[in-house]
Amino acid sequence: MSKQTAKDRRKEPARGSLGQLLWLAGALAVAALPHLPYIALWVPIVVSAVAGWRLLAAGYRWPLPSAWVRVPLALSGFAGVLLTYRQVTGVDAGSALLLVMATMKLLETRGQRDRAVVVFLCFFLLFSAFLREQALWAPAYLFIGVLVLITALLQVARFDGTVKPATALVTSGRLLLQALPLAVLFFLLFPRIPGPFWSLPQRGSQAETGLSESMSPGDITSLALSDAIAFRVRFDGDAPRGSDLYWRGPVLSEFDGREWEMRALSFFPKLTEQLRDEGRSAGYEITLEPHGRRWLLALETPIEWDAKAAVISAPYQLVRFRPIDKRTTYRARSLLNGTTPGIMTERGRTADLKLPTGTNPRSLALAQTMRADSADDAGYLNAVLRMFREQPFFYSLTPAVLGAQSVDDFLFNTREGFCGHYASAFVVLARAAGIPARVVTGYQGGELNPLANHWVVRQADAHAWAEVWLKDRWLRYDPTAAVAPERIEWGMDGALSRGSIAGAEEFRGRFLSSGLSMSWDALNAAWNRWVLGFGPDSQSDLMRWTGVTTPSLRHLVVGLAIGMIALLGLAGAWHYRQLQGSREPLLRAYRQLCQRTARIWRARHPAEGPQEYACAVATVRPDLATELNALFGAYARLRYDGAQDWQRVSAFSRAVRRFRPTRRPPVAHD
Amino acid sequence: MMAAGLANITAGFGRALRSWAQRRQGTDPLEVELHTRRIYILPTRAGMLFAMITFVMLLGAMNYNNNLGFALTFLLAAVAIVSINQCHYNLAGLRVAALGAEPVFVGDKFQFQFALHNARDGKRWQIRLNWDGQDEAQYVDVPATGQQIIALSLAAEQRGLQRAPRLRVSTRFPLGLLQSWAWLNLELTGLAYPRPAERAFGAAAGSLTQAGANTSGEDDYAGMRQWRPGDSPRRIAWKAFARTGQRLVHEYSGAGAPVWIDWSSEPDRNTEQRIAKLARRILNAETSGCEFGLRIPGVEVAPAQGPGQRHRCLQALALVGAPAKVAA
Repeated sequence: MSKQTAKDRRKEPARGSLGQLLWLAGALAVAALPHLPYIALWVPIVVSAVAGWRLLAAGYRWPLPSAWVRVPLALSGFAGVLLTYRQVTGVDAGSALLLVMATMKLLETRGQRDRAVVVFLCFFLLFSAFLREQALWAPAYLFIGVLVLITALLQVARFDGTVKPATALVTSGRLLLQALPLAVLFFLLFPRIPGPFWSLPQRGSQAETGLSESMSPGDITSLALSDAIAFRVRFDGDAPRGSDLYWRGPVLSEFDGREWEMRALSFFPKLTEQLRDEGRSAGYEITLEPHGRRWLLALETPIEWDAKAAVISAPYQLVRFRPIDKRTTYRARSLLNGTTPGIMTERGRTADLKLPTGTNPRSLALAQTMRADSADDAGYLNAVLRMFREQPFFYSLTPAVLGAQSVDDFLFNTREGFCGHYASAFVVLARAAGIPARVVTGYQGGELNPLANHWVVRQADAHAWAEVWLKDRWLRYDPTAAVAPERIEWGMDGALSRGSIAGAEEFRGRFLSSGLSMSWDALNAAWNRWVLGFGPDSQSDLMRWTGVTTPSLRHLVVGLAIGMIALLGLAGAWHYRQLQGSREPLLRAYRQLCQRTARIWRARHPAEGPQEYACAVATVRPDLATELNALFGAYARLRYDGAQDWQRVSAFSRAVRRFRPTRRPPVAHD
Repeated sequence: MMAAGLANITAGFGRALRSWAQRRQGTDPLEVELHTRRIYILPTRAGMLFAMITFVMLLGAMNYNNNLGFALTFLLAAVAIVSINQCHYNLAGLRVAALGAEPVFVGDKFQFQFALHNARDGKRWQIRLNWDGQDEAQYVDVPATGQQIIALSLAAEQRGLQRAPRLRVSTRFPLGLLQSWAWLNLELTGLAYPRPAERAFGAAAGSLTQAGANTSGEDDYAGMRQWRPGDSPRRIAWKAFARTGQRLVHEYSGAGAPVWIDWSSEPDRNTEQRIAKLARRILNAETSGCEFGLRIPGVEVAPAQGPGQRHRCLQALALVGAPAKVAA
């Protein structure tokens, strides 16, 4: 009978293979889904068309295309990817190519191995999705994806068609659950080797930042506020005041009359030594989002940092030689006195006073007049700030375009702008009066997430201010504070919600400081810190925590081996129980029966058989004779009668559980 | 060239493995429980590919220092490791009972039946049975605490007793990345009847009359007698049976004189051709329903009728010159 069904099943491979193809298509869909927003539109269209045709072909038993069709098709898929992306490496192009090739492989799935190869390609697709996306939902998707792909592998590995989806999912789910502890062990203990082995592909448009190497305020008519996170900060103790939170970024010293640019980097070592033990300082840890450039951000003025291979450049900017292409965490300590050390050479002085000849003549004239009216440089600069404050200057995110003489136009005509306009005008006025000055860009402020106890600094917090050389050091002047003090005191978010910034209406409500977004941010930060940020350093922290002070390869290998042996031992013990399982319930029930019977009179002698023992007890308690004979007889039949049907065994153990003999025979009343 | 070399090495390794397994296991009884110590396990080619892919992913995850990549890689590696256990466990403790095969004629196929008992309360998936070294295989899922009977065919090549090759019970459950298997050296034989000749009589005349006489016995009705084992069902008086409940058999006058199918009556000098002709005559005799006996050198099968007699005679024919044949 069973032989018959086995034979029948083998006669219809088409139905089986259709089910398996459906699973393959499902695996492809799950692996392709996270790529959809990033790859060219034609790829999913071609993929669905080919997969759909393949399913129809299986359903109607059309012949599969020959190599004469498949090879040109695969080549044109390759060419299509190459034409679309101009490359086949990169994450986008690579995943598109993988997807196309996996689909082409569907056209020649004959054997079990062909089908398995499609699933393997899907694993690669899933992997490449995580190169792009590491958000909080990604691990959930990882599990769902792996579950579906493993189930698909389970289904296509069968030689005679699929089993019910629920059955397959349960089986693969169990496999996954068993694998989980081992995977966690690998994750924590597998030796992490730092550093890329080959160059990382450029992320292109993804590495957008609020900061750049140049600034041209006159050309910007609308400053888009991006709520993308620039970095997160955790202070060691209390956070400094909002007005102290100047996160120093690129320093722009070269001015061509309209645009500010960074000067070629040069380095003076030991600048920080001028700064030891001076005033208040703050220690903190920054988790910087990747931005593809070389600068790191730090609170003004950094004196210590542990970021690897980071140095301070001449304009006191923290830079690194390798671009920040992945999320980076570093600790730093900064002084909070609004000054920056520097060395002023004659050449440097000339460069920091330079203004292109013939530009902004009215501004230069204004500077001469105002300087003449002031007692000293500091008084002059305060007069400039007073001018911004007292005359009708406005802070606006949607300023008018400035003319050719951009600073003149701003100071005398439009009189509205954002931080870049004010910093630029202030530096021009300072230089015009013979005071070396430069523009500093970075971020100002931030938003405290009380749940996670960290500060979030967004791209919208990007800011620009001025530094002038006074009394042998660089002093910070923030002209924007003179115009829109709430921007500095409360941060961009606070200023927007107070409605004190022109052009802010369209941005209001952009940052919802609601509990929900706070929790989400806290969760994200924890995820970044503890899971995504897990690396060689965290691993050695973990090893230290477990008591291994100097973790070596030997420790790791021994640890892994112990863990593996423990896990395998556990699995072995479990399997042994399972193997014994068919016999064990019966023995357990018999042991229980003997224990209960022993209460009546005496325990069973080791050599006594079940029926002997029952008879012996029955001589003492004839009232129990029938019951005892039935129970012990049932055991003897189950034990020695060959087949151990588990239903009979469980019926027996139920009967034993119900058997509760009294110690003494019931007293006869008559 | 290299592939061929590799194939040679693999084949040589396979041979060494087989003979080693044979030495350590010895011959098995007809019912065997697959103990863990006799289950071997190795990755399949898909499994090797999977290992390669996991390794490439590991390199990728290291290169990008991507922890989700690490997570995926390690999860896949752990799944593969756990599936070693499951693959092995799927086979461990399975009982395989050989039920033997019905005799067939040379050139036909034996259907060797096996009962697979599963004492565990979980299904055993995708159990594959094949003869060692042969591609044809049967797959079966054995239900929880149940059994499944599966037939594996084997070509009958020579008359006489044919020893079945070593049985291979294997599984690739769950993911097809690994294959675990056990070899069963069962003393399992099938009886191959000689292939009957197309026609019972060739040019030789003598046999014609004899055979003709043999089959004419049904004409004269002689009455009824009690049923005896070996009587053809066609001769049972079903009407009488329905009426009385007694099994009576119609008897014909010719039936009294049994037909002897005699080795010496066959003129053919070639032993195998002679056996083929005799086999055909046995089949004819059985079809006609008469009593027949077989005389071959050293063996005499007493006259009787029915399928049992047919089997006895064909078996005797199959085993002509047997001691030398069985060894083969």
